[in-house]
Amino acid sequence: MNFLKKALVASAWLTVVFAALFSYVTLAQATELQDEQAELVSVPKEAAREYLQPRSLAAIPEGEFGDKVRLGYKIFVDTQGLTGNQVGNELNCSNCHMNAGQQANASPLWAAYFAYPAYRKKNDKVNTYEERLQGCFTYSMNGIAPAKGSPELVALSAYSYWLGMSGLMDKYQVAGAVPELSDEELVKGGKRADFPVPEAIQKALTVDQRAKLPGKGFPAIDKPKLAYSPQRGKTVYGAHCQSCHGDNGQGLEIAGVYSLPPLWGENSFNWGAGMHRVNTAAYFIYENMPFAKGFQLSNQEAWDVAAYINDHQRPQDPRFKGDVQGLKDRYHKHQGYYGEQVSATVLGVEKPKGN
Amino acid sequence: MKYLFTLTISLLLSGQVLAGAMTEGEAMPMPASAQLCAGCHGQQGQGVDPIGPRLAGLSAEYIQQQIKLFQTGQRQNPTMGPMAMTVQGEAIEQVSKYFSAQDVADVSIHVRGEKVGYDDPTERLVYQGDWDRIIPACVTCHGPSGIGGGQFPRLAGQQANYLKAQLLAWQTGSRKGDIDGVMGNIAAKLTASEIDALSQYFATLK
Repeated sequence: MNFLKKALVASAWLTVVFAALFSYVTLAQATELQDEQAELVSVPKEAAREYLQPRSLAAIPEGEFGDKVRLGYKIFVDTQGLTGNQVGNELNCSNCHMNAGQQANASPLWAAYFAYPAYRKKNDKVNTYEERLQGCFTYSMNGIAPAKGSPELVALSAYSYWLGMSGLMDKYQVAGAVPELSDEELVKGGKRADFPVPEAIQKALTVDQRAKLPGKGFPAIDKPKLAYSPQRGKTVYGAHCQSCHGDNGQGLEIAGVYSLPPLWGENSFNWGAGMHRVNTAAYFIYENMPFAKGFQLSNQEAWDVAAYINDHQRPQDPRFKGDVQGLKDRYHKHQGYYGEQVSATVLGVEKPKGN
Repeated sequence: MKYLFTLTISLLLSGQVLAGAMTEGEAMPMPASAQLCAGCHGQQGQGVDPIGPRLAGLSAEYIQQQIKLFQTGQRQNPTMGPMAMTVQGEAIEQVSKYFSAQDVADVSIHVRGEKVGYDDPTERLVYQGDWDRIIPACVTCHGPSGIGGGQFPRLAGQQANYLKAQLLAWQTGSRKGDIDGVMGNIAAKLTASEIDALSQYFATLK
């Protein structure tokens, strides 16, 4: 018994030492990291809201600008197709952003685009749209984000902009093709007084109204009556989630594609991703799960199963520099399980994959 | 009555084909328990249109699950209901593995994102769905090009008649057993012409 304890302590120290060494190797990258993927702003859903309806993808125009929009769609639904280490897990953007980022209340791109650049009080910094996208690569995709101004970030920005602007133009009866923008303009995002917007839309919506389009993010749900419980969540998972996501959260791979995504473990999002927050996951699940049949779970079940999913090992937080407790204190003061003891292990001690 | 006749003929034929196949040294010999199945589904599970759908290419997990659904009445079919009862115990796994292991024609794998705008509304349903009606893309669960996996059946190369009958069965409720009614909910939203077109699309997919 004593020996076992000593062995455990020794192995824990070894892990820390290795992780520390490891972190020096990736320091150059780590210092470039955004310090946090800001929590999504979620607001309760209002009944009978009319959501923006982007134009059909078949309407994307021919030409250089249209090609960027199409590339953005392609990257969004086949993120795994990116080469190198930009993606370090088995997820695609479209796993959480339903309907290729077009679905209201599933964090649609058309709403996100007009919410950036966003000022963040916490670090007194303004984040552009491409910086937010970099955060998605770093955390949700557990990868090394493409550089600012890279073709990937330009394409994802172009796709988001085209969805949003085509929807706004149709809603406010502005005819014609979506105005083309330069790469420099595209990656900043649309929440700017100097952002080029047709006059009819400018008259109808202020910059701030545009930044809060109905259907943005995942709608907040009420707090659960009972404190959320991974134990109860396990039962919910078995009954409603396991058939698609697997008995160990591993997802389902067919012909090399995980269209039913891994929810925890090395192939899923890491400890810095928004979805590791129990509240964000609960909002997403309540609205969007089971697939294409949301609202099947009760409020309590959604919270409990969100807790169960996030009460498992997943790839290390990229901000990790060898000190789980330190990282927990600095970045994890929210509803999550990083650094918590679960059975024989502490969540967050796993080494990052591929970084 | 006509079906019963066909079945008898098929059973007689299958015995002979089986003997031939065995001497040629098949990779996996047909278990005795699968002989009755082969009457309608073919020796290699290739399917006998219109009396039995193709089983080759379906996962063993899926075949097993369906046998059990027929046995419990969650899937209803006048022929297959009683037939499923004849497969019990270990035989369920044996026949599932046998038919699952049989060869199936390759289809070229089309991954989402290879194409952006679909002019053909059927192809659009398959690869992008129609989210105005909360219909997701078929390939999200059934895999790229609908080749299936796990609990999700292969659609590529399946008989059009059978696919159509299944979508209609989901609509009427004579087929159940999906968790939270996910497939029933999707099928219920499809129009008659969409069902025809989707069935043809997957049946003829190369």
